[in-house]
Amino acid sequence: MSVDDAAEETPDTGSEGEAVADARDVGDVPVAGTGEVKLEIENVHKRFGRVVALQGVNLDIYEKEVFALVGDNGAGKSTLMNIISGVHEPTEGTVRLDGREIAFTNPSDAREAGVETVYQDLALMDDLDIATNIFMGQFPQRKIGPFGFIDWDETREQARHIVHDRLGRTEIDIDTEVQFLSGGQRQLVAVARTLAFDPDVIILDEPTSALSVDAADLVHRTIEYLREEEGITVIIVSHSIEDVLQIADRIGVLYQGVLVDVTVPEEASLESLTDLMTTGTYGD
Amino acid sequence: MSTLDGFAGGLFESRDDFVLTLLDNMIWPILALVILAVYLLVPQTLQNVRSVRLIMWSAAPLALLVLAESLCLLSGHFDLSIGSIAGFSAMVSGMVLANCPSCWGLTTNPWIGFALIFTIGALIGVFNGVMVARFNVNPFLQTLAVLIIFQGGKTALNTQPISGLPSTYLFPGGTADFAIGVLVVAFVLFGVVMRYTPFGQAVYALGSDKDSALEVGIRTDRVIIAVYTISGVLSAFAGLLLTGFVGVVPPLIGEGLVFQAFAGAVIGGISLFGGRGKVTGALGGVLLIALIQSALNNSAAIEATQIQFFNGVVLLIAILLYNTRTSIRGRILASGAQ
Repeated sequence: MSVDDAAEETPDTGSEGEAVADARDVGDVPVAGTGEVKLEIENVHKRFGRVVALQGVNLDIYEKEVFALVGDNGAGKSTLMNIISGVHEPTEGTVRLDGREIAFTNPSDAREAGVETVYQDLALMDDLDIATNIFMGQFPQRKIGPFGFIDWDETREQARHIVHDRLGRTEIDIDTEVQFLSGGQRQLVAVARTLAFDPDVIILDEPTSALSVDAADLVHRTIEYLREEEGITVIIVSHSIEDVLQIADRIGVLYQGVLVDVTVPEEASLESLTDLMTTGTYGD
Repeated sequence: MSTLDGFAGGLFESRDDFVLTLLDNMIWPILALVILAVYLLVPQTLQNVRSVRLIMWSAAPLALLVLAESLCLLSGHFDLSIGSIAGFSAMVSGMVLANCPSCWGLTTNPWIGFALIFTIGALIGVFNGVMVARFNVNPFLQTLAVLIIFQGGKTALNTQPISGLPSTYLFPGGTADFAIGVLVVAFVLFGVVMRYTPFGQAVYALGSDKDSALEVGIRTDRVIIAVYTISGVLSAFAGLLLTGFVGVVPPLIGEGLVFQAFAGAVIGGISLFGGRGKVTGALGGVLLIALIQSALNNSAAIEATQIQFFNGVVLLIAILLYNTRTSIRGRILASGAQ
């Protein structure tokens, strides 16, 4: 099944929207995905000097769910993302992956544990082709004596497999330089690179920011595919409420470093989430 | 994008694709035109195989400097100090080996001379790399400072030609076949490293987008230091070949060569902003510059004192071609963007 096929199926929100948590009580939250907890964030605090970025965040993210983290600028969503992806360490609190406590000190630790991040800038090298971008830093190699040489045939074959077979984008030529791609295709290449590491969790930072409707649609289908076919837990960090209402199984709202609610799209609206993001409470 | 018909249509997906490929390889039609012009205007330059061999022999030091500059440019950096490194390392090594009045004459062992010249080149390269990578010094300013320091240092050490060097020491640059062999091997090795090793691809990644390279796990600081170290070693090797070619260490050794190396790299299609360019293009650039130099030297109409003027004109033409190429490329990419 490809990205397009996966999108035709109805997203499985797990709990089907029952028992939505009270706005201020995020301890009793709807369950999504398979119901197995993938990532546990327990009482996480983060301070940068005198600035408090996160205060006592408690959150469980489940296997095979699409979890969206929303909030206004400075709400702490990027800080929480950076803690999960190993860029920052929490000042206080614990993070568990598959029940095991983790203490990432850098992004490589997170990668080894199966957590991949696609940053907003996508970290693509425009002058290089898609296959090279996907495998940069991890090329399949062939040993000749003591020296390792890049196996370009294998690199292309694996890149083709990821882009054409797994992501279903057969129209994309993997020899194309990234600078020739549309916004949605660039996002797809960034996701393809994470798939080369066989991740369990993918964090997408503002995945549809500044994209056209068509390009955003391609990204949505890719996210559906990751969950449905690859069984990957996807965490989306976004400030676009319209976007996450379409694709997320659950939505966590951060306000001034506090996780003020976790809800499901069926129980939320653009207006209610906007209120929560901007004031920390639901309006009337 | 418009499409192409016929033979070109079979090779290229679109007209834009054809134009971009032509822009990336424009050194070859330019070289063909220059060969034709030299053949018609200064025929003695390409008189026979011997004269072509002489061009290649004299091009060997420049070839190593073009490779050094190309490596730095591909990584998104500059190295203005390559000629200065070539000159200073050759001067120090020559003073250690020779017995001239102003020389130190510490040994006549040519192998110590080889070790010394490469070590000096590597150390100056490491210095450049550490300053740029670890202390975030602007590459242009760092290598400009090093250019001035070591060019001045060379002049402070000695202002007379150094002769009486061991024949083994002069052999690499003084033997046509060996020097041409060095040129060929250097380009093949450089091509293999850049294409088939993770280091080579990391250099391209660094030049294309440093932040992205860092995010995908490339240790950019190490790559930068390695790039400048290799550049230093190649520059020192160029100094060794120049010494052998001339048979002495002339006081002005290495001076002004950085401009020819820049011209060769840029006209050969190496991007001034990194991440784009092929080793074959750089080879074309070397051949072009060497051919023009040889034609200028052979031309009865041009005085020796005017050659530097023409070197500047060649550099200017290279930069104008680069600008034109970048501009056309930008227009095509903008028209294809969604």
